[in-house]
Amino acid sequence: MVGRSSAEASVQRLPPARAAKRAPGPWRLALKGFRSDRTAVAFAVLFVLLCAAALAAPLYAEHVAHTTPAANHITERTTIDGKPTDIVSVDGIPIGPTWQSEFFLGADENGRDLMVRILYGARASLQIGFAALLITLTIAIPLALAAGYFRGRTDAVISRLFDVIWSFPALLLGAMLGTAINLRGADIGPIEIKGGTKLIPILVIGLVYIPYIARPLRGQVLALREQRFVEAARALGVRPIRMMASELLPHLWPSILVLSMLLLANAVVLETALSYLGAGVNPPEPSFGTLIADGIENVRISTHLLLAPCVALVLFVLSMSGLAEGLRRALDPHRKLGVDLLRGR
Amino acid sequence: MISFVARRLGWAVVTAWLASVIAFVLFWTVPNVDPSYHLGGAEKGTNETRALATEKYGLDEPLPAQYVRLMEGIFNGDVDCFYSCGSLRSAFIDALPVTISLVGGAGLIAIGLGISLALVCVRHRGQWLDRAILTAATVAYSIPSIVLAAVFWAFLSYKWMIFPEDGYVPLRENPIQWFTHLLLPWIAAALPFAGAYVQVVRASLLDTVDADWVRTARAKGLDEKRLIRRHVLRNGLIPPVNVWGLDFSHAFGGFVLYVEVIFGLPGVGFLTAETLGTFDLPPIVGLAIYLAIVVVLASAIVDVIVAWLDPRLRRPGTAS
Repeated sequence: MVGRSSAEASVQRLPPARAAKRAPGPWRLALKGFRSDRTAVAFAVLFVLLCAAALAAPLYAEHVAHTTPAANHITERTTIDGKPTDIVSVDGIPIGPTWQSEFFLGADENGRDLMVRILYGARASLQIGFAALLITLTIAIPLALAAGYFRGRTDAVISRLFDVIWSFPALLLGAMLGTAINLRGADIGPIEIKGGTKLIPILVIGLVYIPYIARPLRGQVLALREQRFVEAARALGVRPIRMMASELLPHLWPSILVLSMLLLANAVVLETALSYLGAGVNPPEPSFGTLIADGIENVRISTHLLLAPCVALVLFVLSMSGLAEGLRRALDPHRKLGVDLLRGR
Repeated sequence: MISFVARRLGWAVVTAWLASVIAFVLFWTVPNVDPSYHLGGAEKGTNETRALATEKYGLDEPLPAQYVRLMEGIFNGDVDCFYSCGSLRSAFIDALPVTISLVGGAGLIAIGLGISLALVCVRHRGQWLDRAILTAATVAYSIPSIVLAAVFWAFLSYKWMIFPEDGYVPLRENPIQWFTHLLLPWIAAALPFAGAYVQVVRASLLDTVDADWVRTARAKGLDEKRLIRRHVLRNGLIPPVNVWGLDFSHAFGGFVLYVEVIFGLPGVGFLTAETLGTFDLPPIVGLAIYLAIVVVLASAIVDVIVAWLDPRLRRPGTAS
């Protein structure tokens, strides 16, 4: 059992002589296991580097590329190997990768710096992913705890709710919700949610993935509540809310961490598909989805417009799934989360 | 078994009905807006088109009556698309075989690759081949099918013209053309799933090969092939089959949406994506309901098959 609850702690306080030689805690053991797992560490480093690069997008744009993600340079020229070159040639073909500070990955059909747009797009996709994850966790964890702890009617209602969401493909549900909110947002007078605001995909992705987190957690709570320490806490008169927060929740954190990482990767992929279908981020704003849609549309002009965002997206998703697997090896060695955690997305 | 099937189908009907109500409420009750505005062609509409929409969908009646009227329209095939598809029901029925070909083929590739590679992993467990396949599976799982589809289409279809650029040929008309039109979409859709399935099947089989009864079977002299096929696979495939069932039903509202758009396959995903782009309300709600029925039916069928394979699942309370 990972995590330390107050009932366990109070039991351990009884023999004071033992306190001096405490065995390493479960988190420390997991950290040790994670550190000795070279693949996991490599993926973690890659993930941190990519996140840092995405967060530093405004810095890169201002100090290295000297432009913004929206600035058009369609009529301007840049210097390559000392020769001035049109950024977008007369027949409308943008320059490819220059591997220089300006237009590192080339320009798009409007003469915008592709590297800057990809960094900003990655930042937007990450923001959406993390914000959606936050929504999912704040709704899913209490529901899972309540369903697993109270069982009976509460469980029946909550689980049926999960089943309904679970019965529908995340993308279809997201595309419908995104379209509906886009439609509504366009018309609600004073509280106007503008098209292209990231709030729409955040809300949609956050809601759609609730059962993906809540279902496995509920299963774990069902198993945990039969254990001795819960019985002991109940005998001490611990109330349900306190029981869930300080007795059960600490045991769930490792699973929540693993699930969150998997979900973050899924959220980024879902954002891409939603934006491609026009139900996520709206065009001028860069995100992985809009950049790839743009690349497909303009593939006849130049292939780097498609390849560059695709490679960036794959790197991000790879780092997240690799890290999730590493976390799982360290935190869930007995596969309590079940063998069927990975599914299509 | 009969009571299980009845229970499962009952739940399917309830889910589909709930989906229809949600879709209706979501799109029909846009706050502060008269639905006749959107139904009458939004900004392109005139007072006449709005009046026509009000009459057709009974927009001056109470909401439950509007719901019943819309549902009747959807199932009688009276709902039309404004822009391209004509009668929605016949458009959907025409598009369904394309999507079934796509999902079925992709599913076969993903499951076939998943099982066969996982078996290789189990046989060479801990050796370099096992590690190599696992690494490849992780990489495959991490390449979203939207990326694969876009890159395949852009290079193999559009640029180098090795494969047809778009369109679909029915299987009965020309099997070879059918195959070449679907091969790239199949691979693009199947690879990430295959990556996940290799890992799921491998983990599940590894749990099984160490079981006591496998050791007993080996001790009594069963040959390895028979042991794997009759004892390990039959039990080890139960958790993956549940994943496949869910993924199979979800596919009808999942990757088909963008894979069909990218490869220009005129299936239900293409139809849905096009309709969503037009903000044309009745067909959007109609498609949501048709797709919900397909998804719910597919998952009910899969659940019944799984329960037939594994009698333990027929008990009440596991119907979902």
